[in-house]
This record gives sequence, structure tokens and C-alpha cells, in this order.
Amino acid sequence: MQREVGTLPLAPALRARLAAAGFQTAQELLDTGPCGLSKEIGISREEALEALQVVRQECHGDAARTAGGSGATRKCTALELLEEEQTQGFIITFCSALDNILGGGVQLTKITEICGAPGVGKTQLCMQLAVDVQIPECFGGVAGEAVFIDTEGSFMVDRVVDIAAACVQHCHLIAEAQQEEDHQKALETFSLENILSHIYYFRCRDYIELLAQVYLLPEFLSEHSKVRLVVIDGIAFPFRHDFEDLSLRTRLLNGLAQQLIIIANDHKSAVVLTNQMTTRIGQSQSTLVPALGESWGHAATVRLIFHWDNSQRLATLYKSPSQKESTIAYHITSHGFRDVQPPAVTHSAEGTEMNPRKRPRPEEEKQ
Amino acid sequence: MAAKKLRRAQLSQEMCERLSRYQITTCQDFLCLSLLELMKVTGQSYYEVQKLLCKVSRACAPKMHTAYEMKLRKSVNPSSAFLSTTLHSLDRVLHGGVPCGSLTEITSPPGCGKTQFCVMVSVLATLPVSMGGLDGAVIYIDTESAFSAERLVEIAANRFPTYFDSDEKLFCMTRSIHLYRELTCCSVLKRIMSLEEEIISKKVKLIVIDSVASVVRKEFDTKLQGNLAERSNFLARGASVLKYLAEEFSIPV
Repeated sequence: MQREVGTLPLAPALRARLAAAGFQTAQELLDTGPCGLSKEIGISREEALEALQVVRQECHGDAARTAGGSGATRKCTALELLEEEQTQGFIITFCSALDNILGGGVQLTKITEICGAPGVGKTQLCMQLAVDVQIPECFGGVAGEAVFIDTEGSFMVDRVVDIAAACVQHCHLIAEAQQEEDHQKALETFSLENILSHIYYFRCRDYIELLAQVYLLPEFLSEHSKVRLVVIDGIAFPFRHDFEDLSLRTRLLNGLAQQLIIIANDHKSAVVLTNQMTTRIGQSQSTLVPALGESWGHAATVRLIFHWDNSQRLATLYKSPSQKESTIAYHITSHGFRDVQPPAVTHSAEGTEMNPRKRPRPEEEKQ
Repeated sequence: MAAKKLRRAQLSQEMCERLSRYQITTCQDFLCLSLLELMKVTGQSYYEVQKLLCKVSRACAPKMHTAYEMKLRKSVNPSSAFLSTTLHSLDRVLHGGVPCGSLTEITSPPGCGKTQFCVMVSVLATLPVSMGGLDGAVIYIDTESAFSAERLVEIAANRFPTYFDSDEKLFCMTRSIHLYRELTCCSVLKRIMSLEEEIISKKVKLIVIDSVASVVRKEFDTKLQGNLAERSNFLARGASVLKYLAEEFSIPV
């Protein structure tokens, strides 16, 4: 109630007038009432009423916050957070080595960035995740939907069909091995058509469309509350060329990062971004570093770098708040993202009991 | 999309006038400002500005498609998804041929046959759909002056003797291949930008650019300062326009 007039979210002209008239706290405004306010400042009664409603809303929000209720700012103890994190699901990638170094898979409510040279498998992993997020809970997934924002045009529907078919087949094998009722029920809804119709695809041609789409995302996500994954494939592409004003670029990117963090937290979804690599020319040698500069490096919570080593694809966990930095090898098969060596599982039932994410051997040999 | 005038984004007339006083006339200008700046410029409260932002964003944002809709659209017209190259092993590796709707790049050391491949693909595109072609015109942008019309006729006559049995058919085919000789980066870019109308008017089904690297390497010496940025700028701009054309018209490039 003692809040200063200058901090209220009113129009600047109105604020200037209030300051000139001598109003200092919000309580004074509320006490004056709309008619008195309109006479003193010289605005219409409707405008005065609107302003008072804004003030009342703000003060109400303030009061609720100070009373410790659930307001816009989250306040909880670390124990509550721990419980929340432990029950939170991960989005598995079907490559158990990658899941292991990530601590279980792609985390919800965090931003994960995937950097790599062209052709190394970033879009493949994004498509794999868009399918994996829809795996029902009884199979170890989060049963969510996916939003795919494409800026480079590398999304191939046929490839997603292949990946989704392999995933459905894998789940069928698990269900046959374990023979539980809820597995069968879940499988009825986990079909190819369902998977494809729950991937929402947006094609953004330049950075303005990308910005506009991210502004509209909260609304979209509240309509489609089951979305658990937002993929932006190619966040570097629209910002790298044709940008003369680098400070504007940094500002827009930071704004984008903030909004994505808000989206990830409010809607409990994972945000996955793909970035390109650029060459940094040092004194004697040149190294490949993620594009978009140093300040962008702070935006993502978890950073994965994909690179080649002769003909083997490697993934390095470059930045993570809770896991150790390590490198693993992965493979991209016609079924999607997979481990390099098939796991040493002879009996499919035994294997799926231990770890339903590992692909049973017979599937591998059929290739 | 970005250059869309705010007037068309359904903002009120007085709001548009007010914004134009600060030189904000397109959606791009509007979305590049931060919330506080927008509040100052529009003179509205925080919540009002957020509503305006949503309105403007809705005007520029792309439409949503589910992956399922996209798959259905593709399966409705399966033959138009690829342009077969008639080299069976190549088609198998490419999963059907040169894909329509995206860019395909062919690179090799000199003399391996890139230009020959481009000429052959141009012939294939003019064939009717029943023979595996796209039944359309071809735009061929030549930067090395390596295109020879005689070779084109030779390939067509020898490869498909039963189809090109009469001179008339050959004339028809050669008439539908439009050749543009561009020798500088600027003219290549200008030509690519002007392609949209030509594609619609001439019913073009294939765009070939032979070659991008030669004209870029001639003009930009990467050892000079600043040239690298300009070169990548030019390439990226050309690439995004070509991608847009390929996707919009579902043709191979």
C-alpha cells in the first residue's frame, strides 16, 4: 500500500501527471477515488477508473506475495525443490549412453542447447525427442506433446515417421515381454497417427517470425497444456546473417532466452535449442566454438556439443549444473538415435526389465 | 512477413500514427523494441502493451501444422516428392531421387561431371510425369558459361530416343529450359530475388545454379579484411531466398 506511484505499471504520461500533481504512494490514489483523481489531474473519469483498477490489482498482488501465498515469484525451500526434481520426468533419447551423461535424459523446466557442425545429427536428435516425449508414462516417458519450431527447413516428415514407427515397435516389444494391463491400454493410444498429430510444427523464415512466435508461445501452451517439449531447430540461423547491428542482436537473443526460461518454468516443459558452430581464430590455431557469441552461452542450462572423430559421432556434455563433463559415442540408424554397441542383452524380457530404454538385440539383427 | 506494415496488423489508426512519429512502421520495428521502450512510445500501460505485442505477433507468426497434416499432404501426392535421377544406385541412396522442396548441393573437384549432371537433370525435369519427370520448365543460372545447348540436345536424343523422336519434341524441350548467364555476385542475387514471378508465369519445376562457388571465389578474397563477412552474408541471403522458393513451390533446387 505504501508503494510509490512511479513503480506502478501505468502509462508514462499518466505517471508524469501524477508525479506533477504530488501523488506519492498508491494508497493516496486509492483514497482519492476516480472522480477526485480525474478532477485533480485533468483526465476523464473512465481513464481514472482504469488507472485505479490497475493500481488495485498491483497492490492485491503485492499483498498476496508478502503473505507468502503463491504469487508471480516462487518461494519454496530446497527440500520441496528436491522432492519436485526427484519426481520430475526426463525425456529419454533412446541412446542410453547419452541419457546417462545427461543424468536420465533431457530435463524438464531446463533449457538444453545442442551445438554441432552441419550434418552431425542435431535435427535427428530433435526429431527423436519430439517422438520420445510422447511415450506413455508406464514405459518410462512423460506422455506429453511437442512443439517444433523450424528455422532452417530441415524437418523431414518421412524421417519422423520412421523414428516414430521404431519407437512404437519398441514399446510393443516391451509390452509383450511384461504383459501388464496398463501397458496394453497405453499402447492403444500410442499409434503413429497420434504421435504425428501431437507434434505441432511452425516454420519461421526470419528472426521476426521467430520472435513473434515465441511471444505467442505462452498462449499456445496454455491452450495445449500437455506440451512438454519445445524444440527450436536452428536458433542461430536467422540471427547470423544479415544482421548489421550486433548490439540489437544480443538484446533480442537475451530477451528470447528470458522468455524461454519463463516458458520452461511455467509450463514445466523442456526447451531444446540447436546452435551452429563457428570458427574462432586463435593465435596459432582455429577452434570450432558454438555460434552466437559468449553472452549466449549463459542462456542455456545444459550444453551438448556434437562432433566428429574420424567417422565416429561423439557427444560431449559441455556445460551442466549437476553432471560431470564427459564424452560418449552415438549412432544414427534408420530407426533414429541409438547407442554404438548394442547392449549385452540376450533375452529381451530380461533386458527390458532392467532398463526399458535399451533396445533388445533381435531388433538390431533384423537390420 | 517482417516488413508487414502495422496498419495491416489490425492496430488502431491513431496508434499507427503515433508509432510512425517514432519511425516505427513495420512489424519488424515494433518487435525489436523492449517492453519499456514500447510503453514509452505508445504511452500505454504494461498490460495494454502486452496485448498489443500479442496482436502484432499474431500478424507475423507462422501458421501451425501438425506433423500428421504434413504427412497426409505428402502422401496425397507421392510422385511429386522426388525427381528421379534415373541412376538407380543414386536414387536408392537418396531415398528416391533429388528431393522436391529442398536444396541439394553437388560438389566435386573439377572435371567430375557436375555440369553434365545438371544438364541431364534439366532434361529429366522437362519429361512428362509418366516418364518420371516433372513436366515443367527449368531455370538454369549459369555462372561459368559452361552450358552448351548442343550437348543438351545430344543427351536428350541419345538418352530418350523413343520420346524425342521428332525435332518438334526437341524444340519443345529446349524452349522450356531458360538459361541466364550471370557473371557477378550481385547479378546472381538479383536474379534469384526476381525468380518468384518467373516461376509462376513459366511454370518452372526445377532451378539449377551452376555454380555458386565459382562466382563467389572470383569476387571475394577471404584474406582481405571484411570480405569474409560480406561473402557469408551474400551466401546466406541467397540460400534463404532459394530455400523459400524451394519450399513455397515444392520444387527441387
